[in-house]
Amino acid sequence: MPDAATTIHTTITTLLGRREASIPELLPETRLSEDLGLDSLELVELSVTLEDEFGRDPWSDGILPVTVGEVIAFYGT
Amino acid sequence: MLLDLIRDTAASADDRALIVGSDDTLSWSQSAERAERIAAGLRHAGIERFGVTVPRAADVVALLAAASATGSEACVYPPDLDADGWAGLAHRFGHTTVVTDHAASIPGATAVPLRTLEAAEPDPRPSPPAGGAVPAPWLVLTTGTTGDPKGARHDWGRLVSAVRSPDKRPANRWLLAYNLNQFAGIQVLVHVLVSGATAVVPASRRAEDVATAIREHRVTHASGTPTFWRMIVGRLEAEDADGLALERITLGGEPVSDDLLARLRARFPDADIAQIYGATEFGTAISVRDGRSGLPLSVLDRDDDAPVRLRIVDGELQMRSRVGMLGYHEAGDASAAQWRPTGDLVEVRDDRIHFVGRTTEIINVGGVKVHPRPIEDLACEVDGVQLAAAYGRANAITGHAVMLDLVAEPNTDRDALPERVRIACDRLPAASRPRRIRVVDALATRGDKLVRDGGTSA
Repeated sequence: MPDAATTIHTTITTLLGRREASIPELLPETRLSEDLGLDSLELVELSVTLEDEFGRDPWSDGILPVTVGEVIAFYGT
Repeated sequence: MLLDLIRDTAASADDRALIVGSDDTLSWSQSAERAERIAAGLRHAGIERFGVTVPRAADVVALLAAASATGSEACVYPPDLDADGWAGLAHRFGHTTVVTDHAASIPGATAVPLRTLEAAEPDPRPSPPAGGAVPAPWLVLTTGTTGDPKGARHDWGRLVSAVRSPDKRPANRWLLAYNLNQFAGIQVLVHVLVSGATAVVPASRRAEDVATAIREHRVTHASGTPTFWRMIVGRLEAEDADGLALERITLGGEPVSDDLLARLRARFPDADIAQIYGATEFGTAISVRDGRSGLPLSVLDRDDDAPVRLRIVDGELQMRSRVGMLGYHEAGDASAAQWRPTGDLVEVRDDRIHFVGRTTEIINVGGVKVHPRPIEDLACEVDGVQLAAAYGRANAITGHAVMLDLVAEPNTDRDALPERVRIACDRLPAASRPRRIRVVDALATRGDKLVRDGGTSA
């Protein structure tokens, strides 16, 4: 099983790649909505991917992560 | 009623088969004799209502014919249940007797072996007249895809009289691809009985067995759901055209898409392809043969005294039928003047009524109502997709998210398929785009209709 950080980076990169725009470097402090422009449905796709891969995701646990680092931190990595 | 039809054809059919199949072969005269014995058994035992768990189609036909002759109300249970499932249905529908050929006892009901009923001496008494003082009811259970099944009570006479072409067609061979617990299966059976044709029972419902039955028994008429046809059309496309004899293809029970109609038309250019719109409760309401998906708007313009009328209220199709069921079990008689919701949601585009989903299958994505059908239709237009099922999954951000499961055609790159379908789905509104697309080996079905709950079957 891939680690959570890799899956999170890969999924976000895939979502951004569909826009045919340049993909910024994903840092722990990079904000999902404000910096990357992910909308609610793209966040849904991220949460579904994480739930399928790891059995849980932060949003389903009532956490509303703002940054990439907060999503990774949810999985303790 | 049914027994009279069998006797009538048996008188001139010699040894011609009423039913043929891998383990089901019975002539018209044998069927008449068996039904007369069973009718005598039902009368002797005083059985007025009963459930049926007999799996072989030839046995079920004889039982139903016998019941229609005695006025007993038969109800064929779904075949994929165990003794507890049968007991549950017996309790729910008040059946103190269940006719079976299984050894297992059925808690709460008396299990009567079919061979016990059949041991009686034949009873050549005529059937009660249709629509006369003695009713000829039968009970059919709804598919129950969204809850417990309901029992719809019908009348054999009403169903037989609804068959439009009563001419004898002994050369016709109808595929019995539905089980006889389904209304559609009973409709096929009644067409066979009225026309003096032959019913062909495949060895199983698997696509390869169905295709084998169509080829080996020279099936001329075949009726199935679009899901059923999607599963076997690829296999039939590989068959030698001269080896198949299909003259009429009927699709019903689910909305039909243009891509499926095109595939069938390409494979069977000379066949009459018809879409049937109806329901267990209403019977067959509409038959469309113009090769386009959906219904023509003209179906809304029927006269007030038409047997079946349709209207659209708040996006849902409603129906009023004078030829449908007598009523639900324990709910009294249905009024012929009563409009009933069908549960089918529709849109009118290009002078056509298009089905977009069921009221029970709406996916609420952040307050946007998403229908699964347009998503599935779009997915099925992608080369390599045999079947598609869209459904909602709970999600903390938007309430629900759209999931899409695919079954791939043979020799398709399964790994590449989700991305190709995702790109196709970019044409959809954002809320309708699937947020997870996966390829599965098979999709769950009930009565050959898709069950949109994310379940898969082997």
